Amino acid sequence: MAQLSVKICGVNFSNPVIAASGTFGFGREYNELYDISACGGVSTKGLTLEERAGNPVPRIAEGRSVILNAVGLQNPGVEHFIQNDLDWLKSKTRVVANVAGRTLEDYEGICARLDGLVDMIELNISCPNVRAGGMALGIKPQNVEEVTRLCKAVLKKTPLIVKLSPNVESIAVNAQAAQRGGADCISLINTLTGMVVDIEKRRPIIANNTGGVSGAGIMPIALRMVYEAAHAVNIPVIGMGGISSGRDAIAFMMAGASAVQVGTANFTDSYAIPRIVREMDEWLTSHGIAHVNEIVDTLKLN
Amino acid sequence: MKELLATVKENKRIAEGIWAITLTLPESVGEIKGGQFANLSVGDSAYPLKRPLGICSAEGNDVTLCYQLKGEGTHLISQKEAGEKLSVLLPLGNGFDLGNAKNVAVIGGGVGIFPLAAVVRQHAGAVNFRSYIGFRGKQYACLEDVFSKGGSLTVATDDGSMGMKGNAVGAFLSDYKEGAADLIISCGPPVMLRALKEALKERGIKTKCLVSLEERMGCGIGACLVCVCKKSDGHNARVCKDGPVFDINEVEL
Repeated sequence: MAQLSVKICGVNFSNPVIAASGTFGFGREYNELYDISACGGVSTKGLTLEERAGNPVPRIAEGRSVILNAVGLQNPGVEHFIQNDLDWLKSKTRVVANVAGRTLEDYEGICARLDGLVDMIELNISCPNVRAGGMALGIKPQNVEEVTRLCKAVLKKTPLIVKLSPNVESIAVNAQAAQRGGADCISLINTLTGMVVDIEKRRPIIANNTGGVSGAGIMPIALRMVYEAAHAVNIPVIGMGGISSGRDAIAFMMAGASAVQVGTANFTDSYAIPRIVREMDEWLTSHGIAHVNEIVDTLKLN
Repeated sequence: MKELLATVKENKRIAEGIWAITLTLPESVGEIKGGQFANLSVGDSAYPLKRPLGICSAEGNDVTLCYQLKGEGTHLISQKEAGEKLSVLLPLGNGFDLGNAKNVAVIGGGVGIFPLAAVVRQHAGAVNFRSYIGFRGKQYACLEDVFSKGGSLTVATDDGSMGMKGNAVGAFLSDYKEGAADLIISCGPPVMLRALKEALKERGIKTKCLVSLEERMGCGIGACLVCVCKKSDGHNARVCKDGPVFDINEVEL
């Protein structure tokens, strides 16, 4: 048995595998399938200050080894989460609150509300934003830095993760922008923007036309970006993008991630997270590695 | 609810483009209610999403799912042979709750008849069913025997190649007598459900009516908020978890 616990920004996780935002709700449904204490943590469904209805359906489509989604931040609002789900989720595992907003004030407001209540806060800056003229805040480095700085200023207790969008000119530059803004940690990658078409109807399958691409098919891109971002900053990195096995997770950690998130794999295998944790343990044990931390950032380039 | 590696027992074509796959589960998943569904893996990592398929029958640890060949995923499922294994997550959704109903009108169209067949099979003998099922044409007709065993059956086809010419809603309306049914259950394409809702309103039919909805799904268990429908109160409901069965007056179709 290898040691799997990791510490990120002072927060102890029992293992480095965290459920990715948007695929796991607030954990209650998956807890009907297995005890979600098996997860190192859960990044919540993206929360906003007010309830949001989200996009029209269809919200999902499939491509080769990938899925696309455009849920549009449907969520019951942060107060509903605090009242109904937070205590329960905290009793199970580490809680990463994934938050989003339409304006910079929204981001500040939701961070202030959750400060001290959750283990970490993860900024979703990939959604369209008023400040950026409807474009995502996560695209231009100056916007990444600005929203990070504003949020960091209101967070007195809870460490801040900035979740980076891959739909950018340079992932390293945006990672550095988040660090300059005061991010305690970065996570990446969020979904890549894509489209799937029904040629009989000559229409995109998703009502929103485009959606975020995730799943095993994006893993090589995600791994490259995690490597580049991790080597551009000196804050911890949480890696994600297409992880569906323990070996995948280990590759991300070797590329520089201190922990990983698993999203789409939960749809393919409802027990993906506990299986990935088990497979990591098996790999480490079979390679005589006592602690998972020993593999972080050990990639040797050719 | 469990995800299990099931063994294919039988997989056969039952009508034009319609297949039935019987899976033997390695262990019990508890009671399966008519109208519940299963999320079946395609068994190929190129297809990350499981396919939500209506449970047509459940006997012991054998579960039969019916499906329409629609895309590459369902095509691959149809190639699975006896003895092969596929991952399946079930039972999902709420299913039809017949309550104390003794006379139930069943209105089904196309692939919407599968969950209805499970209800009729489960309650045949204890409940009197009057079924009205519609197909595009004779070549698509299947499971008529199941509906016949539960009571009367009227088949309608769009092209008139079998039964009456027309659709299931029309067949139900032409046979409608006030008080004959204390519950209506229905499943079919959105256009059929909308026509049913409209007709019930127009004819002033107050009989409680439950409909099963279909939507593209992600997790299948209510976590990802992909498969929502709009409720009459303006809020979203999750088709996979809060449904797929809703009171027809509770949802916008």
